[in-house]
Amino acid sequence: MSAMAMHGARPPVWRRRVAASALPLAAVVAVALFGWIQPAFLGAENLVGILRQVAIVGIMASAMTFVIMTGGIDLSIGPVLALSGLVAVLSLDAGFGLFFALALALSVGLVIGLFNGGLIALGGLPPIIVTLAMLSIVRGSALLLGGPDLHAVRGQPAFSFLGTGSIAGLPFSVWLFGAVAAALVFVQRSTVLGLRVTAIGDNERVAWLSGHRTRLTTLSLYGLSGVCAALAGVIQASQVHTGSATYGEFGTELDVIAAVVLGGTQLSGGRGSVARTVLGVLFLGALNNAMNILNVPIDLQLIAKGAIIALALGLGQLRS
Amino acid sequence: MHTTPPIRARAVTKTYGTQTVLQPTDFAVAAGEVRALVGSNGAGKSTLMKILAGAIAPTAGQVEIGGEATPLGKPTEMLRRGVACIYQHSNLVPEMSVLDNLYLGRVPTRRLGLVDRRRLRDDARALLARHRIELDLDLPVAALSTVKQKEVEILKALALDARVLLMDEPTGWLSVGDVARLHATIRHLRKQGVAIVYTSHMLDEVFALCDTVTVMRDGRVVANAPINTMDRPRLVQLMVGDALARDGRGGAERPEATARTGPPRLRCTALSRRGLFHDIDLEVHAGEIVCVTGLVGAKRTELMRSIFGADRFDAGTLELDGCSVVFRSPREAIAHGIGFVAEDRHREGLLLNLSVAENLVLATLDRCSRGGLLIASRVRSTAQRWIAALNVQPPAPSRLVRLLSGGNQQKVLLGKWLELQPRVLILDEPTVGVDVAAKAEIYDTLRAQRAQGAAILVVSSDLEEVMAIADRIVVMAEGRIVRSCDARQTSIAQLVRDFGAVPA
Repeated sequence: MSAMAMHGARPPVWRRRVAASALPLAAVVAVALFGWIQPAFLGAENLVGILRQVAIVGIMASAMTFVIMTGGIDLSIGPVLALSGLVAVLSLDAGFGLFFALALALSVGLVIGLFNGGLIALGGLPPIIVTLAMLSIVRGSALLLGGPDLHAVRGQPAFSFLGTGSIAGLPFSVWLFGAVAAALVFVQRSTVLGLRVTAIGDNERVAWLSGHRTRLTTLSLYGLSGVCAALAGVIQASQVHTGSATYGEFGTELDVIAAVVLGGTQLSGGRGSVARTVLGVLFLGALNNAMNILNVPIDLQLIAKGAIIALALGLGQLRS
Repeated sequence: MHTTPPIRARAVTKTYGTQTVLQPTDFAVAAGEVRALVGSNGAGKSTLMKILAGAIAPTAGQVEIGGEATPLGKPTEMLRRGVACIYQHSNLVPEMSVLDNLYLGRVPTRRLGLVDRRRLRDDARALLARHRIELDLDLPVAALSTVKQKEVEILKALALDARVLLMDEPTGWLSVGDVARLHATIRHLRKQGVAIVYTSHMLDEVFALCDTVTVMRDGRVVANAPINTMDRPRLVQLMVGDALARDGRGGAERPEATARTGPPRLRCTALSRRGLFHDIDLEVHAGEIVCVTGLVGAKRTELMRSIFGADRFDAGTLELDGCSVVFRSPREAIAHGIGFVAEDRHREGLLLNLSVAENLVLATLDRCSRGGLLIASRVRSTAQRWIAALNVQPPAPSRLVRLLSGGNQQKVLLGKWLELQPRVLILDEPTVGVDVAAKAEIYDTLRAQRAQGAAILVVSSDLEEVMAIADRIVVMAEGRIVRSCDARQTSIAQLVRDFGAVPA
């Protein structure tokens, strides 16, 4: 009690409570509201559809949470998605096996991510500049590799299964999203790496003085973000049976960042939660879906989406 | 002749909760006087300066400017009345030009709110000429040397017709030549009748520059005197305390004798880092507490950081149990069993937004994990063990560290390094901002560690602390060791004399 009184900088309890439960509350209210207006929204088919729509953004957002917790950002994920999808498709078309094609696609993402991380963690360059430059370089490389055309995949049932197949009634892509999210939630809660990421987010210098290789950790997080963007790219290529240098168009990274921020992770770094990011992803997905079902014109959709993000963040700010 | 001083504080007092950091204090500076304000850390200097500058409001008391009472705790009101403060760290906008910085926030305007740039420039030129300062008004501040930046800050104060200039450690970042230059500027200001308060840890500067000196200790003024009635030992004695200096033992209990046999646990030979410390020979044995003391600015922290691998050293050798070692990072030092309790626990010690438990295991995660997986039960038991052993209040492992009191935060920081079972434990000012009860507990813990065979190296400016826990005492001044002795064969009076010693 006396400690509370002495450190009076803390906001009152009700504000922290509201802030902590703002997103779950908003999600529940929104879903109930959509369901009431349009019962089809709550149909099993539609709910599965929402999950399928968010899987790609969700995979990238889960990894992005860690990057943003360290005070960084990865803007290059859109083009990495495109390049990796394209690499997978072109490898398959060239007659390579599925395993090789996937390994190659994910490696592309990993290498780009590590390169980002190297410049940021070892070179000390600002994340926003490095990944913005990488955004341009990777997009250019993808165009160099694939030109402006769509490259179709034919006769590859195993590859098509990644994006379009189902297991136990759920799309395989949703299982992949679930697996990535569950793995990263586990990493965050139960591993040394997770604690290390939280420590770097809170005070990198203290983490370093306590014997942690903070730069190596930061570097690896960008690698993780690259791999997840590549996985998203493979799923996308599989879903539409084509690879193209123009996928993951401008705005993809903003959807991902919006989901992370909606989940309560501050852009300036610090505490964050993969589980909450997943909630943010689902909320944005449900919102998009409901507005489609309700035939809200796209212009109004964009405006409503922006307003809701701003509102949610405003509530989150009550915490501090 | 009695004239009204440009600034006078009457019985200003400051308390935080139950803690009084400034006892009722009277303070005044005359026009054309440079008054030094000295005292060790926590003596209340900064509190007094901040009250004079209006940065904080006193709990009681009054500040008069030119004989008139002023509203308290309002920096802009103070500025308007001609009281300006120059802090150790720059308050300038680096990207903006000198000219823009000078008039930041109070640009003269013409009708329609347009900036009157010509008048701005003319005013600035006149100011430069009057104070004989040379500056290129169009250069961005970032392009200037540190001393030039200080001059910009002084000029910024003068642009307001400041009659009182408060300078808080203005030479902290300056080289010797630059200090002389800054002093020349200050002397010129004195001639113009500006009243100047000058705080510095560098006693040389105080004697070279100031007319009078006010010494503070434990939140009160203990002396006011013309500088020419003072000498260096007398000043240091006033700073650390009369009673302390007379009673050689500081009234504290004496450490029991320890046997020093075998090779030292840690040995530095001729350790040097250019511009910071030179030719440091230092030994710490197992089961021994060595205190490194001296005035602020003696580069003790820098030495410890180099030993711990947080900084490099240029020359000399470091030996651990007789084996030569060089730590390229704290990680390597920790792997060799060296712990480092940093002075600034908020910036370098603790993860404030993480729990007590997470902080306690941070330096020893390999003991609470297997294959990269945290073992929650072991994290919890480690945390509970140290919470109990160090009497952390409240005893809640999941409590965020920033919600603890200073003393309890320090215990968590100490526990983090004790969990390492360190062969060498380095502590930098381990009881700054810690209440008396927690202080005693921390001393007991250190003695227990010594009994278990740890080699303990403590940096401390608190002579009572040094006399209470040290087996051996090393005094540093200006980056060199000026004395090294058995704690039983010295006295606080002797240490006080050593403090001011100029290394050969």
